[in-house]
Formats: sequence, C-alpha cells, structure tokens
Amino acid sequence: MPAARRIRVWDLPTRIAHWSIVSLFGVCWWTAKSDHMQWHRLAGYGMLAAVWFRLAWGFWGGETARFGHFVRGPGTTLQYVRKLFARGDEAAPAPIGHNPLGALSILAMVGLLLTQTTFGLFAVNVDGFASGPLSRWVSYSAGRRFAHWHGANFNLLLVVVAIHLTAIGFYRWIRKERLIPAMIHGHKTVSAPIQEPYFVPWWRAIALATGIGICVALIANIGSLA
Amino acid sequence: MRFIPILRNSDRIRVFLVSATMILGALGSAHAASLPQIVHARQEHFRMLGRTAKSLRDQFGRRRLNWAAIGSDAQALDRLASELPSWFPPGSGQGHGVKTRARAVIWTNPQAFAQAAHMLLFRAQGLTRAAAHHDRRALMLNARALGHACGSCHSRFRAHSGWW
Repeated sequence: MPAARRIRVWDLPTRIAHWSIVSLFGVCWWTAKSDHMQWHRLAGYGMLAAVWFRLAWGFWGGETARFGHFVRGPGTTLQYVRKLFARGDEAAPAPIGHNPLGALSILAMVGLLLTQTTFGLFAVNVDGFASGPLSRWVSYSAGRRFAHWHGANFNLLLVVVAIHLTAIGFYRWIRKERLIPAMIHGHKTVSAPIQEPYFVPWWRAIALATGIGICVALIANIGSLA
Repeated sequence: MRFIPILRNSDRIRVFLVSATMILGALGSAHAASLPQIVHARQEHFRMLGRTAKSLRDQFGRRRLNWAAIGSDAQALDRLASELPSWFPPGSGQGHGVKTRARAVIWTNPQAFAQAAHMLLFRAQGLTRAAAHHDRRALMLNARALGHACGSCHSRFRAHSGWW
C-alpha cells in the first residue's frame, strides 16, 4: 500500500468563493428576517458576485473546481451511491475534489442561488421603497411576485443546505472523510496513487473577480445610468 | 279586520322570537360579510400605497427628475397616510376569523399605533413639501425616512416580514 501523502485539492479562489457564499447566506438570511433591507441588498450583491464567480470558475478555474471534472452522468452516480455504504475494498473510492453526489448538491445549490439572486434583483418590498435594482422595469405587482418567489426559493435553498450539512456529517462520521478542513486549508491526505490536480494562475481569478465586480456594480447602479 | 285572529298569545310570542332570530341572523351575516370587505379594502389601500411609493422611487434613479410625477405621487402618499388610521376599525385584526396580518397590538396599544401613523403622515408631508420646492436632497432624505417609517410600522404591527 502506498504511503499516505498530503496533496492540494482546492485552490484559494474556490475556497474563498465557498466561504463567501456560506457567510453571505447567513447575512442575507439575518438581514431579511430583521428587516435591514439596505444591508440585505448589499449582501445580495456580494452573493451575486460570489455565485457568478463560482460559476465562471467552474469553467476556467483549477481542475477540481471545474464542472467538467466533477459532474458525472446518472450511471456513474448510481454506481457511486451503491458503494457508498460498503466497507473495505467494496467501498466507493474517495475522489479528489467533489464526489458524484456532491456534484448534484453543487449544481442544485448554484442553480438555486442564481435563481434567488435574480429574483432579488426584481423584487419589490410591500411598501414599495426597498426594492431590487432592476425593479423599476417591472410593475409593483410583478415585483411583489418576484419577492414571493424570492421567499419560496429561499425555503428550497434551506432544504438543500440541510441535505448538504447532513452529507458532510455522514462523510465525517460514517466514511471518516473530513470535508470541512479540506475546504479550509485546501489539502487532503490520500494513500491511493492519484495524480495531483492542476491549478490555473492566480491572475485568472483576479481578472474574473474584477470583471464580475464591475458587472455587479453596474447592475447595482443601473437606475442612475438610465 | 283583526290581525291574524287565529294566533294565540303564546303563538305570537313564538312568531316574534323566530322573526327576531332571523333578523338578528341576517344582521349578523351582514356583519360577517363586511369584515372581509374591510380587510380587503385595507389591503387594496396598502397596495395603492406601495404602488405609489414604487412609482415615486422609480423616479429617483433618473438623472432628470420628473417633478410633476413626483409631486403627484407625493400628494397621493400624503393623502393615503392621512387616511391610514381609518383603515383599522376595531375588530378587524387577527383572531376575528379573517385572514389578515394586522396584529392585535394595533388595538391593544392604540397610542403606539397612532404615533406610528402620525410619523408616517409627518414624513409624507415632508415629501410633499420637498416635491413642491423641487428640492432633490430633501426629497431623498424624506423618502428614506418615509421608508423607515413604513418598515418600523411593519415590524411592530404587521405579523410577517415585508418581503414575503
């Protein structure tokens, strides 16, 4: 059996995007509950930028962050699920990066977060004052519908987050895989002979983040540009 | 000619009681029908308030403000704010068999509600004055203050978040 070695699996941009989404999710939730809509809007812009970045990084980022690397077809996913509870040699191998089930979770999460932020851009508060930056292009009634969908979609997000957290617990205590520390420091200890993933230069992340930041700033201020 | 001569006194009492019950029942059902109407009318008023506030707010992003439209919206908000206390007659809140988000505190603490309604009116009047003087800075300040007045009222007197 080859000796265990520590390899890098997550690059810094992936980790920053991940933890930004986690913290902004909490901020968005709290500011909506406590009716701090000005802060909610700012946190929403941050979330929009983080989700767009993660989406873009899924195409131009490091190997483990790419959708092409971790999104698998139904056959591979089912095969992985069948071996999920097996022990010893029969057990499903722990892939570097996201496993096929985690891929589904990420697709659901990114999809719902994109929907959520888009709804928020058009949403109108009941009093008509606190509204998303694109709400001036929809009527009050349509804006209210966007606000209701924003609320309903948030409940779906809560379900996906609960499943995600349960899965992390399952991997921690049943399969003895520590996913959270790896997402913090970016490394995993592996014993199987695996080729280390490739990563892309840091300037690519800076360029993408700058471009996305400019786009989000334009959306936030689009009213004053019209 | 005597009025229904075949009825005895005891029958007359029965007829009176049945008629009175029917009339009271009819009055009761009329009252039950009026409560949803009151709540529906109130919700429509608030929709109008929100629609007008949005119309006003949509103007703010523009480089050149349409003062005529802003003045009209500000006056409408002013009028609606002055009428607001009358949309909450006693017995039209939660717990009266009708779907509403109006919390009971509106009627158990009428002083606090009256103060909040007065603050809304005060801000709406400030908005109207700013619109009349074409004062962009004062307009923004008063609009923000009006938005805070709405939010503050919702957090205390409305049984749900303003967003959904």
